[in-house]
Amino acid sequence: MSSSLLPRTAFLRGAVAIIPLSLATAPWGLLAGSMAIEANLTPLQGQGLSAIVFAGAAQLVAIGMLKGGAGIFSILLTTLLLTSQHLLYGMSLRSVIAPLPGRWRLGLGFLLTDELFALTSQHDKQQFNRWYALGVGLTFYLAWNLFTLAGIVLGSSIPGLEHLGLDFSIAATFIALITPVVRNVPTVVCVAVSLFCSVLFSYWQWGSALVLAGLAGMAAGFVCNKFSLERN
Amino acid sequence: MVWAVIIGMGLLVFLNRYVFLEPRLPLRLSSNARQFLGFAVPGMLTAICGPIIFMPDKQLNLQLDNPYLLSGLVAVGLVLYTRSTLLSMLMSMAVFFFLRWWL
Repeated sequence: MSSSLLPRTAFLRGAVAIIPLSLATAPWGLLAGSMAIEANLTPLQGQGLSAIVFAGAAQLVAIGMLKGGAGIFSILLTTLLLTSQHLLYGMSLRSVIAPLPGRWRLGLGFLLTDELFALTSQHDKQQFNRWYALGVGLTFYLAWNLFTLAGIVLGSSIPGLEHLGLDFSIAATFIALITPVVRNVPTVVCVAVSLFCSVLFSYWQWGSALVLAGLAGMAAGFVCNKFSLERN
Repeated sequence: MVWAVIIGMGLLVFLNRYVFLEPRLPLRLSSNARQFLGFAVPGMLTAICGPIIFMPDKQLNLQLDNPYLLSGLVAVGLVLYTRSTLLSMLMSMAVFFFLRWWL
């Protein structure tokens, strides 16, 4: 991708590049919509989550927590932790996005998802094209919101959509994203500790089981990494 | 209450996404903080998967008749074997729905 392309060409290339990942989020978007209805949110609130928050994992966990009667503070803390990987994406894209005009920074910042980062992270200053990034981000935003809408409509009209096992699509997506990352001992330790703790804490029915399990896994990986660095 | 949660979440997620894109912000994460956050994706995503896979219907199920557990294992194998995220997701979901119908 080159920064010299015509805006429209670059935008369309971005829109086309994100289509496979957009389709892969379909079951997940359906789930986000139907789960919101099932958790007694109004259709507008369900759509609002996708339109305003635009972060699948955080949305699904928040819906589950709302249903379970969790407080606003623990939901917001979970959201902050669940989406903290975006800090790293922002830091990584800082050199190409920070020099852009304010409306581009705000727009691309809002659209910055795992998927957008995956498609633009290897672009340097010469290769980065703001229109390409916008094409990727806006198409993904549109797809996510349309799938959510479909989930809201289906969830309202077909009772029991949540019993179809659509939640496995979350697990399948995350397994597909995590497995290639697990390449060294600290990450194996992180995943193992996180997995064990998430099941144990959920079994004990702790309110913040997922956050605490995630933090335990991250801390275990971090400590393990420190030790292996010291030994070398 | 629900709208407060939605707006609050929206602001927090946007803050996470935008903060390092702001040129006037001299803030830098320490090297330790960066390393810790580097484990956010495997740590957090795994924690979300754990209860889905091992505790369907909120009951601990470590038996091999648990379609979530079997399909999860299939998904790991597929990613390692095919190296394709999309293909692994689609195929493991097909396996999952087949197992739910079969078991």
